[in-house]
Amino acid sequence: MSRIKGSASRRTLLKWGLCGLGAAALTTVPKLVTAQGNIFGVKALTFNADDVGILNFALLLEELEAAFYAAVVQSGKITNPTELDYMRTLGAHEAEHVTFLRGVLGANATFATNQLSFNKPGLNAVLQDRETILNTAVSLEDTGVHAYNGAGPSLKNPTYLLAAGSIVSVEGRHAVGARALLQRPATELPSERKVSDAELVPELNPFKDRAYDELYTPKQIVAIVSSLNLLNNPITGALVA
Amino acid sequence: MKTDLDSATQRIDKAVLGGRILHRLTAAAQAAVLIVSFFFGLFLAPAAPAYAQGSVPTPQEIVAYALTLEKLEAEFYRRAIEAATSGGLASAPQVAKDAIRSYGEDEMQHVADLSTVLTSLGGNPSSVTIPANPNFNAILQRDPFANPADFLLAGQYVEDLGVAAYKGQATNLQAAGDAAKTVLAGALEIHSVEARHAAGIRYLRQVLLNADVRPWIRDPKEVIYQELRPDNPIPFGSEAFDGFATMEEVLALVGPILQPAQQSSSRSSQSAMRTQTPVRALW
Repeated sequence: MSRIKGSASRRTLLKWGLCGLGAAALTTVPKLVTAQGNIFGVKALTFNADDVGILNFALLLEELEAAFYAAVVQSGKITNPTELDYMRTLGAHEAEHVTFLRGVLGANATFATNQLSFNKPGLNAVLQDRETILNTAVSLEDTGVHAYNGAGPSLKNPTYLLAAGSIVSVEGRHAVGARALLQRPATELPSERKVSDAELVPELNPFKDRAYDELYTPKQIVAIVSSLNLLNNPITGALVA
Repeated sequence: MKTDLDSATQRIDKAVLGGRILHRLTAAAQAAVLIVSFFFGLFLAPAAPAYAQGSVPTPQEIVAYALTLEKLEAEFYRRAIEAATSGGLASAPQVAKDAIRSYGEDEMQHVADLSTVLTSLGGNPSSVTIPANPNFNAILQRDPFANPADFLLAGQYVEDLGVAAYKGQATNLQAAGDAAKTVLAGALEIHSVEARHAAGIRYLRQVLLNADVRPWIRDPKEVIYQELRPDNPIPFGSEAFDGFATMEEVLALVGPILQPAQQSSSRSSQSAMRTQTPVRALW
């Protein structure tokens, strides 16, 4: 999973002065809501319109992806060795992103992994068969690319921007891996996009269509994620307003 | 934590931004003389005197640089399409030919759109030139269009480098402030598509050639730029994080390609150039 197992990331966390904070998150499986519609007591997730809010929002997407791939592997519905290798690897990468973001955020993380409440019927629906699973993976990864791109120009801290850039190209590689397993082309056709040209923010999207990955706003990302029906937590705050 | 972050940021400012100084181009980059003189010209231009040498490149300089790389990539795929029609790539599976055509179209679109942006920034896209016959042999020290396996390997190197090149300019565009926000957005729109191309080629190598490679970078040795940055707080050593390359580093790598390819009659001078600055020796 890791090119340089252990030492690099540990050294990194030490540099951030945050060693140990993220380590536990890797092994914590998000709590599933057992009774349908039971959202009583589910924590609302609030995202402010600043760097910390953006990183927390990225963290939510990474948590969603990590939980999805863990469930995919557990479902037993992916049996082809290459496909299973991809699902495991993508899950491991997303878990690393979670660990990294939690390490950077430290006490500024606004939710714990076990405060996320996943919608079991929604999760079961996307896990029903191989095609649904792989197409959901494509949706999540393409959405992740649009989300990180959209966050880029809003970030103030250059280290955060470089980190977002470092992650988004890996999400793009994931998208292509999942697409290739379905014989779908590497780049996104305009007809595949969940945000139309007319809905794009013009100043953040000088280029459009197949040769580009457009910038989506956090609000647009929330709409896409909500349509997947995977999360029970309400999502609020200035960032997504 | 704040202090740690601040000092980390400063380290990045020093290590990353400081490394992007064009005038520091060393003897190793002499083969990049064409493009270097081009950028040197920009630095001397009256329009951009404020920070001269030792500072980060302006948005105009970054767009000109990106346009140079896109023109090279577009030409790389144009040559591949030729070879797929009646040359060494004619035997390539249709899925590979489809990828070549599709990615080539993307690069041509990038050239067209970046040209428009460069004009809007006061630059002249037609002054951003590449040789009529770039020396693509410099990538592998042999003809990359001779067979599908070599083409896909060369394509992987080119696309992975493209990803790192765009990533390396993100903070420079950010430093230019709100005025450059749309340019930054455009660069980000391209950056992840280059990653898609790289991943697509890597996938083809895995499934068509049984190469030990995946759409993502599993080992820093898979790329021709410097993936590991020990002083950087981002864990580029992990396959879940992609590395970046500075303008100086990228120009040093593409310099040999920007030398016009020699005619076969002057083989000796070609091999002399190879000895001087082999791209392959840099990884």
